[in-house]
Amino acid sequence: MIRKLVLGLAASAMLTGGAYAQSIKIGLSGPFTGGSASMGVSMRDGVKLAVAEINKAGGIMGKQIVLVERDDEARNELGVQIAQELINKEQVVATLGFINTGVALASQRFYQEAEIPVLNNVATGTLIATQFVPPEYKANYIFRTSANDAIQSGMIVEEAIRRRGFKAPAILADSTNYGQLGRADLEKALEAASVKSVAVEKFNIGDTDMTAQLLRARQANADVILTYGIGPELAQIANGMAKLGWKLPMIGSWTLSMATFIDNAGANGDGAAMPQTFIQTGNTPKRKAFIAAYQAAYKVDRMASPVSAAQGYDSVYLLQAAIEQAKSTEGRKIREALENLQTKIDGVVTVYDKPFTATDHEAITANIPVFGVVKGGRVVVAHDDDIAGDKAVRVKQK
Amino acid sequence: MQILGQLIVSGIAVGMIYGVIAFGYQLTFVTSKTLNFGQGEALMLGSLVGLTVVAYTGYWLMLPVVLAFGMVQGAVVERLGVRQAIRTGSESGWIMATIALGIIFKNLAENIWGRDALKFPSPLPEAPLSFMGVNVLPMEIAIVVGALGMMLLVELFNRRSIHGKAVVATANDRDAAGLMGINTSLVITFSYALSSMTAALAGVLVAPVTLTGASMGGALGLKAFAVAIIGGLSSGFGVVAGGLILGITETLTGYYISTGYKDVPGLVLLLLVLSFRPSGLFGTAAIKKV
Repeated sequence: MIRKLVLGLAASAMLTGGAYAQSIKIGLSGPFTGGSASMGVSMRDGVKLAVAEINKAGGIMGKQIVLVERDDEARNELGVQIAQELINKEQVVATLGFINTGVALASQRFYQEAEIPVLNNVATGTLIATQFVPPEYKANYIFRTSANDAIQSGMIVEEAIRRRGFKAPAILADSTNYGQLGRADLEKALEAASVKSVAVEKFNIGDTDMTAQLLRARQANADVILTYGIGPELAQIANGMAKLGWKLPMIGSWTLSMATFIDNAGANGDGAAMPQTFIQTGNTPKRKAFIAAYQAAYKVDRMASPVSAAQGYDSVYLLQAAIEQAKSTEGRKIREALENLQTKIDGVVTVYDKPFTATDHEAITANIPVFGVVKGGRVVVAHDDDIAGDKAVRVKQK
Repeated sequence: MQILGQLIVSGIAVGMIYGVIAFGYQLTFVTSKTLNFGQGEALMLGSLVGLTVVAYTGYWLMLPVVLAFGMVQGAVVERLGVRQAIRTGSESGWIMATIALGIIFKNLAENIWGRDALKFPSPLPEAPLSFMGVNVLPMEIAIVVGALGMMLLVELFNRRSIHGKAVVATANDRDAAGLMGINTSLVITFSYALSSMTAALAGVLVAPVTLTGASMGGALGLKAFAVAIIGGLSSGFGVVAGGLILGITETLTGYYISTGYKDVPGLVLLLLVLSFRPSGLFGTAAIKKV
């Protein structure tokens, strides 16, 4: 009976799918050029690694995965064009990616309308996974495997205020969607902790001088700098503090782990702390194997953005499990399977045990990320007891 | 007072970076009434070539290589992008051509050096110096001294040497200079070479402070363009003054008003200059005969 069914399905797939019957097309959208390229390229490399492993093991339901990669250059309008191309021309069954919150918000509307699932594996804007929630929309096609900004800003405040006891935080955020939405989340989290920031400063992408921002923070007697920005400008903040001979601890969003921050700030960046879903240390066999495979495949020692690589890698396995459970590449069925995954997936970031439900599309909860700290050009675990014993793999709270 | 001093010092350092790029715009504008919209990219290429060479030769020996590279790059821009437009009397062909060349150079750099911001080794100590509570990086002093020195040398060359006099003659009246036997098209090529050379040198001067990378040219080139308009495209002194005005305005606004409005007064100044003194604060008004 089952065999007949499978044969029937295969036959119908061949009839309707034509030339694509032997492969499954998955879209991949991210910035592979420009300021956020280190995250985009690491994410892409993580995705490709997982795809190569799955294809080597026989693919999904006997079909090989074909990735359709597109560089969105972190530009919203280009992201929209790519979304339309992947949906209408390439007819992908699902899309992975998005590094930049702005691009994600602009592009995912088209997937939602076409009923094609999206797994956001890096972008962190809080709104992303809740843009199309029922009952206003019939079903939400947008899922996420990264720690959103509400989680991250909560963790930053927890670390700075409760754990380390700072009392006068200054916020430095860039003027992009990412920086300003993150700043709003930080201010909300500070308010919840009944602390008020003593200074809130802004800077632009490409700014090379942070003197004015830092002097304002110094005049306000800040005792810690909370950041929301990306690598090069964050490095200018660290270097600017060294120039003024005034060094405060920097605690900020996960972008403080970007290679462009670590390399360009050098010794000035040591001690910067940020939430991380994955740190390049092989503290479990799964993580060890992933790091070794990544290093071998791309001939690097240090991953440019370990978080992006790991989340990208895991997103492919989640999608594979969903397609296999749905026994179909139809968007609606993949979404239903993602919302009710029966298999546990042993990922790099965490063990995904029913990561999504119909109303909750966030795979990462606040208990999963740990604090990383920059030390000698690498990100290491900030508090060793965070990953000790059974806390090595943190799973989603129900 | 100490804070005001710190803001002005930082503003001068940033403004000098803008000024030295704007100086490149001015060099070609006076001879040919055209300018290289890829000036930011010339700076970026100079600094990335410098970054590659510096690993083999050290900082000081790298400078002549970068200067030579800059001259060649400028000549290429003129030959490919500008000459044809000047010959056919096209009013706007060179604008599109130099923008296009700038994009090509940027893509080329992305393929060779990657897309990330890179750290440029500083030839001077990176610890700040302190004067009466005002901190300044040794490299920031080097930028100011280096930029002023370079502009002085170019001016001296133009005023004293016979080749420089040909440049000045072409700047004053291209047709008359041509009638006097000066090869004006060669002079224009030369002024482009000189302009890109100053940009390349500026690139290796500012890179230890600003970081380098394929995308460094865009933002700096645009700011420098504003500076050139504020100061006046016809005056070498004007673009330096314009750079300092913009740099200091930015840091002062950032501190005393809001860091969110840091760029606004500079742009307001730009609009005011365009409305009331279109030739720039220090420029001389030219009468265009048609």
